[in-house]
Amino acid sequence: MNKYELGIVDTRNIIRTLQDVYNYDFKNYALTFFKRRVEKIIGNYNLKDADEFIQKIKTDTALFESFLQDICVDTSEMYREPSMWRVLKEEVFPKITSDTLNFKIWFPEVASGEELYSTAIILEKLNLLKNVQFIASSISELNIEKIKKGLFDPKKIEFNDTNFVRIFNDSELSDYYTHKNEKAYWKTSLIENTKFIKQNVIFDDYPKGIKLVLFRNQMIYYNQILQERYIKIIYNCLVPGGYLAIGNKEKIDYWNSDKDYILINDSESLYKKKLS
Amino acid sequence: MYKALVIGGSAGSFQVITKILSSLPKNFPLPVLLSLHRLKHVRSGFVEALSIKSTIPIVEPFDKESIKPGKGYLAPSNYHMYIELNKRIALSTEEPVNHSRPSIDLTFETAAQAYRNKLIGIILSGANKDGAHGLKKLKQAGGLAIVQDPNECQVKTMTEASLKVTTVDHIFTTEQIINFLLNIK
Repeated sequence: MNKYELGIVDTRNIIRTLQDVYNYDFKNYALTFFKRRVEKIIGNYNLKDADEFIQKIKTDTALFESFLQDICVDTSEMYREPSMWRVLKEEVFPKITSDTLNFKIWFPEVASGEELYSTAIILEKLNLLKNVQFIASSISELNIEKIKKGLFDPKKIEFNDTNFVRIFNDSELSDYYTHKNEKAYWKTSLIENTKFIKQNVIFDDYPKGIKLVLFRNQMIYYNQILQERYIKIIYNCLVPGGYLAIGNKEKIDYWNSDKDYILINDSESLYKKKLS
Repeated sequence: MYKALVIGGSAGSFQVITKILSSLPKNFPLPVLLSLHRLKHVRSGFVEALSIKSTIPIVEPFDKESIKPGKGYLAPSNYHMYIELNKRIALSTEEPVNHSRPSIDLTFETAAQAYRNKLIGIILSGANKDGAHGLKKLKQAGGLAIVQDPNECQVKTMTEASLKVTTVDHIFTTEQIINFLLNIK
């Protein structure tokens, strides 16, 4: 219980180091989150304090890569908020495919990959997977590698399976993964059609012509400045009439944002980019 | 002089919470931050049930919502609720703590950082030790620590765990908690 606690000054010093040495700017991450996350990382790496962390990460690029992975929250589950996935399956995908056969979906921070695999399985079941191009961005190269291999935490199997039957009662999620020797793997054929982009905190490379952006519960780790910046970039990536799904406790609320987006499903925080 | 009230509860706390919320004056001067254990898959119903009885409005806040006096903020299901230094809510889907998301410890600990000695914290009936660490942090930051009298609790694990690690300011029955809150200026 007596874990290491980071002061505000230490936190700022760490942010400055990451900026100076690696050109990654975390100053617009949500402060409480970032501080807690780094405290945990310092503990996991058996380091003494912020100074030791700073000294080490300056020269140890492997440590920096693993820091980027650990800063991403990997505790999501497949089909978190099943009601949102039912909306995608029953309303959004049929609507999209009624006016276009092929389309693109973007995950601006794919984190540990649950949203990507959840989407792929729904599209596979709707027999649409071959028509869709996924673009998955992440700040963590290690997470991207893990997702490409289909690796996931077997501890999540029970949650995942329970969520899945809330959406499909005619099949089992286990049709899509294997679980042996305490390791669990998704069928990687599900994400064959995925372009992965390693990115910085702010995108240096982002896609165009996107029909659906899935970005749930990631912007909660940013402050309002970074949130707004992301939402404006997403606006430029979406085609007119394209969809943006954010977490059910997030909302788009910058000055004049109702000129850009309309909220089409209040309880699921599903938005649509305005036509003109 | 106090700036916020934070309440944590689990099994057996619902009746107590509704009793407290129904007794507060409409112009209660503090925001009320509620971190209560709840079912993960049941998103709706809880805030409505609390609102029916409450004299002050209760919301499940959006991420980065700013905290206002005289309003209750209930940690949404399947999220942790942090209090940022700039007095806004920040939500998180990080791993459960003490098997709980929301975690009472995390709400208390972050509220203590944000409000320091201007915070009142109350731990109510509950079946695990969540909240004990958070109340300790609150006390260390100079806040006022209150625990519901374990003899009155339906399940006393949580209050007893808190009392074990913190010398609290008051051990109160529900009635005493209400009287205390009515006298806050």
